Amino acid sequence: MEAMKAAQPAGSRVFRTFPFTHRKAREIDFKEKKMNKLPITLMILALLASVTLVGCGGTAEKGTLQFNANGEDFVRQGFVSKDGWAITFDHVYITLADITAYQSDPPYDPHSGGEVQSQVRVGLDEAHTVDLAEGGEDAPPILVGEVKDAPAGHYNAISWKMARASSGPASGYALVVVGSAEKGGQTVNFTIKIDQEYTYTCGEYVGDERKGMLQKDGTADLEMTFHFDHIFGDADTPMDDALNVSALGCEPFAGAAEGGTLDADLAGLQVKLSARDYQMLVDILPTLGHAGEGHCHSEVY
Amino acid sequence: MKWKLILPLTLLLALGLTMQASAHGARIEYTISIAVEIRATYDTGEPMGGGQVTVYAPDDPTPWLEGVCDEDGRFVFTPDPSKPGTWDIQVRQAGHGDMVHIPIGDDMAISGGSGYTPLQIVLMGACVVWGFVGTAFFFSRRLALSLPKGRA
Repeated sequence: MEAMKAAQPAGSRVFRTFPFTHRKAREIDFKEKKMNKLPITLMILALLASVTLVGCGGTAEKGTLQFNANGEDFVRQGFVSKDGWAITFDHVYITLADITAYQSDPPYDPHSGGEVQSQVRVGLDEAHTVDLAEGGEDAPPILVGEVKDAPAGHYNAISWKMARASSGPASGYALVVVGSAEKGGQTVNFTIKIDQEYTYTCGEYVGDERKGMLQKDGTADLEMTFHFDHIFGDADTPMDDALNVSALGCEPFAGAAEGGTLDADLAGLQVKLSARDYQMLVDILPTLGHAGEGHCHSEVY
Repeated sequence: MKWKLILPLTLLLALGLTMQASAHGARIEYTISIAVEIRATYDTGEPMGGGQVTVYAPDDPTPWLEGVCDEDGRFVFTPDPSKPGTWDIQVRQAGHGDMVHIPIGDDMAISGGSGYTPLQIVLMGACVVWGFVGTAFFFSRRLALSLPKGRA
């Protein structure tokens, strides 16, 4: 026995070195087995608790998040361009795809660009073509779609793609602007078709109210805003304002019209417009998309 | 006898305090707080003088403070330190606008509102499991060691 004891490594179970009967040994073995089951039982219970915790995370508070598209009063009511043309819009078809809202952390900075850092994001499936000129002068923004089981929280970033429509009145184009411009008794009917696709990634909505704060069982909305005064300029804004300085105006389009009508896509405009004016238009298109008044990071898709 | 002395002394003390309060003294107190100054400009660098400022406290849909930029596009405010997190400041003027996000408070408070990710929850669960198992092994070993001694 002493030899056995001496052979035991330090820290090992030494109780077997004591003399005891087979009955006692069986009792101890039974209790030992019983004790060995204890950690396993506890482990299973703890695992179940963990799974329950994860499960609770999956059934977080949810609400409805709506996605709106807004051409603003410029599109709904018309406006006077920086060079004095009174413009009204019949249709402004825009096709929006990959629409995604983010609870970004840190808040997305469109000036820096890059990927939106977010653990929570929801979006709409498929592409949606909407007419921003739909409704009357006081019509609300166009509801593009909604996600009814969006996790509650603050959606402070949004991205989308201005994509070519595969069907409908704007088929083959990402943006189709149909309207007329009038100045000094001259009227020009125009249809401007843009087939170039762009992605827009924006931070939090900038405007009269705070958008995107979704509470449990509540409804919140985000807005994809399009500033068409960036193309035509705005007579109500000072001419030396950056908006008007960088805007193309309406005169180049009127000059490109034939018989009072302009119907052209980007390739056609490249031919009809001067190189400078065409380049201005190309530079302006990525700046159309906003979140309210907040600028977005845009890339040619 | 002592009360006869204490009462007048207390009265005098009270009068003294009253006299001190009515004197033409001055008193300055101070607290140290963090002020935030922003400067809003257009892309051209021109200051957004007179720009409308809206300050939002963390996770609050209603404005915490509204104001106007000075001629140089500057605006200063002191955030409420009891509301740690990301403060959002919006400046708008004539159709132009931008928002800046300023973290206020310690790191825990800043990140506290974002909740736990599924990975974090799983890791926490694993830690709990390991804690149970480790504890169980510890006690089972002690029981195993003590049993034979008790019977010897």
